Amino acid sequence: MNPSSLKSRFATRFLRALTQIHARKPICSSSPTEIFRRYRRIKAAADKSMAYSVRSRKTWTGAVLWKLRSRSCGRRSAKTSTFIKSQQAIMKRTRHEKQNKNTTTTTTTGEHGVGFGVEASELRELVPGGEAMDYCNLLDETAHYIKCLTTQVKVMKKIADFYSL
Amino acid sequence: MESNAGTKETRSNLTASDGGEVTAFESLQFTDEIHRLILAPTTDNSSSFTALLELPPPQAVELLHSPDSPKLIAASPPNVEDFQGSFRFPSNSGLIERDARFSLFSGEANNSNEKRNSPESKNVSANPEKNVKSEPAETESSQPLVSDPTVEKRSIKRKDRENKVKGSTKKSKTVANENSEDAEKLPYVHVRARRGQATDSHSLAERARREKINARMKLLQELVPGCNKISGTALVLDEIINHVQSLQRQVEFLSMRLAAVNPRIDFNLDSVFTSESGSLMDSNFPSLVMPAIWPEVQGNGHRQQYQHQWHLDTLQQPVWGREEVCNNYITPENSLLTYDSSANSATLQANHLKMEL
Repeated sequence: MNPSSLKSRFATRFLRALTQIHARKPICSSSPTEIFRRYRRIKAAADKSMAYSVRSRKTWTGAVLWKLRSRSCGRRSAKTSTFIKSQQAIMKRTRHEKQNKNTTTTTTTGEHGVGFGVEASELRELVPGGEAMDYCNLLDETAHYIKCLTTQVKVMKKIADFYSL
Repeated sequence: MESNAGTKETRSNLTASDGGEVTAFESLQFTDEIHRLILAPTTDNSSSFTALLELPPPQAVELLHSPDSPKLIAASPPNVEDFQGSFRFPSNSGLIERDARFSLFSGEANNSNEKRNSPESKNVSANPEKNVKSEPAETESSQPLVSDPTVEKRSIKRKDRENKVKGSTKKSKTVANENSEDAEKLPYVHVRARRGQATDSHSLAERARREKINARMKLLQELVPGCNKISGTALVLDEIINHVQSLQRQVEFLSMRLAAVNPRIDFNLDSVFTSESGSLMDSNFPSLVMPAIWPEVQGNGHRQQYQHQWHLDTLQQPVWGREEVCNNYITPENSLLTYDSSANSATLQANHLKMEL
């Protein structure tokens, strides 16, 4: 197993998080609420560890971490709209840096769903942070997101199988 | 009277014969006129290109060098925009060859044409790529062409005749067609205008964007299983969406499963993954080790055994909870017992997990 692959990084982080979760609250009752709370924590831990394990800079990782943080800090601050606006600002800045004057068709937020129908909007909902991207980058992010999700599923499946022997 | 008639007749005969001769003579004249008509250039001063196409090259050259040439120059501006789409002119040797074929050139004209040819084609071949930024450069390079469009028209007409393209007004496209595809590596987007496509900057940028999107869709198709057979973007997108949804749902189910499963032992696999060999902690200090690293102890290696130990472990868990809080307050027997058993099982499981992962 490659020690520095995405899989191993995610596996170590996730297992560490799992042990922390189990250590904090050892199973006293198997009530549904407890299980549900734990499930929430585990899922958050999985997403968080996945987002941290990614080396290359991707938009969806920032979106995932932002959502988790906003959820943990209570619901007082950080609505998704403000996040989207900040993301759009970042995207515009990066766009101007990279693509100087080459693209005459500036793909701004007005480009959402233009000419690509329902599927693009659905994809935006699915991929975290997808609302603030143009179609081209959205496809990029989707590809990376799918790759990370598959590794996540594989590792979690193995851990779950291992546990439930 | 009768003699008059006879003479009339004879005269008429004579005239008839004479007329025959005359008609024969006249027919000769007519043929001459017809020949003259055929040989004379039939084209008007408007000199449409298609008409020129029908003529053999020397006469075309004559026409071009005739005072009609200002009209040709006037006709060229619409083609300058086409030149923006053209990328490379044919090699110098080809043009020189064609120039050599036109024996009707005056000496001056030949030299000047050749001279003008080489720098122009060199300039253009130095910039083989179409960039949005280099458009002004190309317009500059095309301006000297305007002053001498005759060379261009001639070479392009040659190609037209070779390609048997009739009535193609966009001659630059045929030039563009023959260009090779090797590209210099420049930091901005290169787009080639293909035959029959618009060449303004907006559509080029659009095309570049579309090509990018298509490339990424292909990548996605490879990632998502079963997408290769589907054709059409909408269906492929649907498949991708379904795949992402199913993956997200799988993550949720697995985390539910992990939450519901009783964790037998709290063990930290960091040591396993970082491949630390040797025992990390002595067995005399279980308290310090407790939620942390387990030493690697030679285990028994039987599942049934550590299943049995598992029951013990679950019983001992509340003990461990207490032990976490107060480190020094340990009941040694309990700790040792649980420690050994759980240590064995922990390392076994850790090794198993490491193998599987």
